[in-house]
Amino acid sequence: MFRQLQARFGGPLAMAIVTLLGIWLIVMVTLPQLQMIEYSLKPNLLPAQVGGPDDRLTLANYATLFNNDIHRTIFFKTIWSSVLVTLLTLAVSYPLAWYLAKVATPRQAALCILLLIIPFWINEILRTYSWFIILAFRGPLNEVLMMLGLIDRPIRFLSGNGGVMVGMVYAYILFMVFPVYNAIESLDDNQVRAARDLGAGTVRTHRRIVIPHAKPGIATGCIMTFMLAAGSYAVPALLGSPGSRWFTQIIYNWFFEGGNWNQGAAYAFLLLVLCIGFMSLVMKIFKVGLGDIGR
Amino acid sequence: MSSQRFLAFGLRFYVVIFFAYLFLPLIIMAAATFNDSRFPTVTPWDGTTLRWFGELAADRGMWQALGNSLIVATGVLVVAVPIGIATALFLNTVSSRAKPFLYALILSPLLTPGVIIGISTLIFWRQFGVSGGIFLTVLGQATFIAAYVMLMVTARLQRFDRTMERAALDLGASQWQMFRRILLPYLKPALYSAAVIAFLQSFENYNTTLFVVGYDTTLTVYIASKVRTGLTPAVNALGLILILVTVLFAVIYELKRRREAARTVKGV
Amino acid sequence: MDGSVRLDEVVMRFGDFTAIEKTSLAIGSGEFFSFLGPSGCGKTTLLNIVSGFITPSEGQVYIGDEPMAGVPVNRRPTAMIFQNLALFPLMTVFENIEFGLEVRGVDKRKRREVSERLLALVALEDSGPKMVTELSGGQKQRVAIARALAVEPRVLLLDEPLSALDLKLRQHMRTELKAIQRKTDITFIYITHDQGEALNMSDRVAVMSAGRIQQVADPMTLYREPATGFVASFVGENNRLQTRVIDREGERVRLDGGALGELAGRVGSEARLVNGEAAMLFVRPENLRPVAADAAGPRLEAEIEAVHFEGAWVMLEARLIASGEKLRVQLGHEVSRGQAGAVAVGQRMHFGFEPADAVVLSDDGSPMVDEETGEVVADSQAQAGGMHV
Repeated sequence: MFRQLQARFGGPLAMAIVTLLGIWLIVMVTLPQLQMIEYSLKPNLLPAQVGGPDDRLTLANYATLFNNDIHRTIFFKTIWSSVLVTLLTLAVSYPLAWYLAKVATPRQAALCILLLIIPFWINEILRTYSWFIILAFRGPLNEVLMMLGLIDRPIRFLSGNGGVMVGMVYAYILFMVFPVYNAIESLDDNQVRAARDLGAGTVRTHRRIVIPHAKPGIATGCIMTFMLAAGSYAVPALLGSPGSRWFTQIIYNWFFEGGNWNQGAAYAFLLLVLCIGFMSLVMKIFKVGLGDIGR
Repeated sequence: MSSQRFLAFGLRFYVVIFFAYLFLPLIIMAAATFNDSRFPTVTPWDGTTLRWFGELAADRGMWQALGNSLIVATGVLVVAVPIGIATALFLNTVSSRAKPFLYALILSPLLTPGVIIGISTLIFWRQFGVSGGIFLTVLGQATFIAAYVMLMVTARLQRFDRTMERAALDLGASQWQMFRRILLPYLKPALYSAAVIAFLQSFENYNTTLFVVGYDTTLTVYIASKVRTGLTPAVNALGLILILVTVLFAVIYELKRRREAARTVKGV
Repeated sequence: MDGSVRLDEVVMRFGDFTAIEKTSLAIGSGEFFSFLGPSGCGKTTLLNIVSGFITPSEGQVYIGDEPMAGVPVNRRPTAMIFQNLALFPLMTVFENIEFGLEVRGVDKRKRREVSERLLALVALEDSGPKMVTELSGGQKQRVAIARALAVEPRVLLLDEPLSALDLKLRQHMRTELKAIQRKTDITFIYITHDQGEALNMSDRVAVMSAGRIQQVADPMTLYREPATGFVASFVGENNRLQTRVIDREGERVRLDGGALGELAGRVGSEARLVNGEAAMLFVRPENLRPVAADAAGPRLEAEIEAVHFEGAWVMLEARLIASGEKLRVQLGHEVSRGQAGAVAVGQRMHFGFEPADAVVLSDDGSPMVDEETGEVVADSQAQAGGMHV
């Protein structure tokens, strides 16, 4: 591989490329992950005990999750809620992506995309914070609902999972819209017309023509959204309550409140495995490869 | 036919609702800045004021955090952009059986939750006695931002006509001169985009930063902590300013990108 | 300034595939030399070996008697004009032309002098500050030439540079290229699959097929004295008839044309003819003329299948009665003066030719070439076998 680089860029530049790539992949990507795994397999020891008889590999940190009812419940709730967020986001994004790709005129589409990009560029924390204001106990949403006479007492939106999920859909929706839009956009208009022409209704056209074509985009969007949702700290921290904790918050607590990094590392690794598992599952269901995701 | 028309109308209506959903929260947050209420809200409206901007300007912690954010973003730029370029050049040049594996490894930071990147960075550097702070924040963020840079550079590199390289060499250029004078200028638009994106990604990052920032604080971390403790509309004032700056950036970036795209279609 | 190029037993293999068979060749300094052949014949590979983009598997390239082994592309005294020109789109015309000097560290004023002189040479005086993307196809072509000349190469390598231009411009550029070559006195090595270009501009042409040079000669000789069946059918149009040698009398050969009866021709330059063995007789369409049914000498009877009126001449597509093979006949003055009478589709005619105008070559098994596309269509051996049944 170095030879190919050298042939194209010459020795010094090839050397620089390989060095930068090597530092990144080894020192920044791989070794920290491996170290995290190693940490997760060791008990939490005092400095004096390191190297002593207790310093051995153990699965105890993983067992903790299964022995702790609260943590286990939160772990599964995080999975379930993230799946729900992903599906919700897909459902909300798909019609818009379809509109942008095939219904809107080029001018309309260009304007819409600019409008989509603007909130996308705005800080995740600020986007989440805006929902904090809306959903507040004495916030505008409750006011409006009361004015309309739909409720007679304000609702505590910020104490359940509902607020967290609404915030997540809002925060990550564009990670779904853009890949799905790109995928639908590359579909030949004539295929849709042909399907219509052959008598297929709207639902069937989408199910048989558009969605199969958009599979790589849908898969990318789902993988990204799930990963962001399951790994989110900001949204549950801002919009959740102690009763609706997220798995990431437990990990954080192990590190900075429990002071048990080994335990935290084990939980973090479980979160990583969860994301990899979800990704593999989606890639298998949609029959797409990693090459489709980079785009 | 009427059901078709109904669907078309429904879709348009949906698009309008969607954009309302996208912007209303931001507008409400911005509006709350001007409400003369101790708590950030728009209901009830207690009178219009600009005093929260003043309070914000007087907040030393905010200025400190802003400074840190700028330092970190600059650091990320310096680390992630060269790595991203190098990786894109590597992928564009090399063909090998190990490539699919390397490609997966290269993409992995994008598919890993940010908190895990933060955690692994924190753990790894502990053995060298480095604890959370600006340095680790730069490294942690650059780990995944480099992959974004790589994707953007790769997209442009794939459209590069490699006979240009051959022509440059044939005319006597060294490989370095070819890189400097032909390849790098060609990549320039993508590099600007990548730099802007990298800067913003760094500036707004929260999940990774939270774990590696230590006792320092970046603006995003600062806002989050303010929301949870000591919330006043000064946070909204800060949000409004950030939104305006971001919108300005986004519009300029997007317009530039479109002009570039139009030129690419026209030229050569 | 010695711009001679010598290939010494050059071989190029890619894995199991031999792109260039053992080739030795000498190109004189200041010569306009073309490699002509169908796509995939190895001509571009040969060009890349001379320019240094590829290192040959065996053999050596000499430029001006200096061996080029180990000399990288950017140190060779060659400059290439690429098929797609490869102008640098982000640079002005000036910057493009001056690029080669800039990387050599020539100072700015000197550079500008050179580029202005070269722009005058290619008749683009005022275009210097323009971006190359603003230029037309023909102008880009000229800039590419000027850019290559700026580095004062001893050898200019041209890789089908005219193929992207439309017909009229292409013909105009031929004249111009030839003029530039004469003015600059640089060795031009030109790669093309278009025989018109090769014959028109070159001092000498090497015809290539399947990684091998078939013949090296000046255009006239190539046309009149093709050395192999491939050259005979690739360069210009030719009717090929499968025959056997009866006997030989000096230059003249008597041939057994099978169903076609007795034929005759002139011995090709490198043909080794043995009595009784297979031979190929090549008669060009313009060397055939209508004759009476009882005329003396070689005579071919054919039915006209199509008549193409081309103005100065008429091209007939006919089919031989005896063998069913195709025959193309070009008629000139006979038709325009009305001497040949009316030529109509379906008519049967007799065509004769002077044996001195028909070349006889030993059947070397060289591949057949499609006249329209220049692609190799079939092995002659297989073809011949089919025809003799």
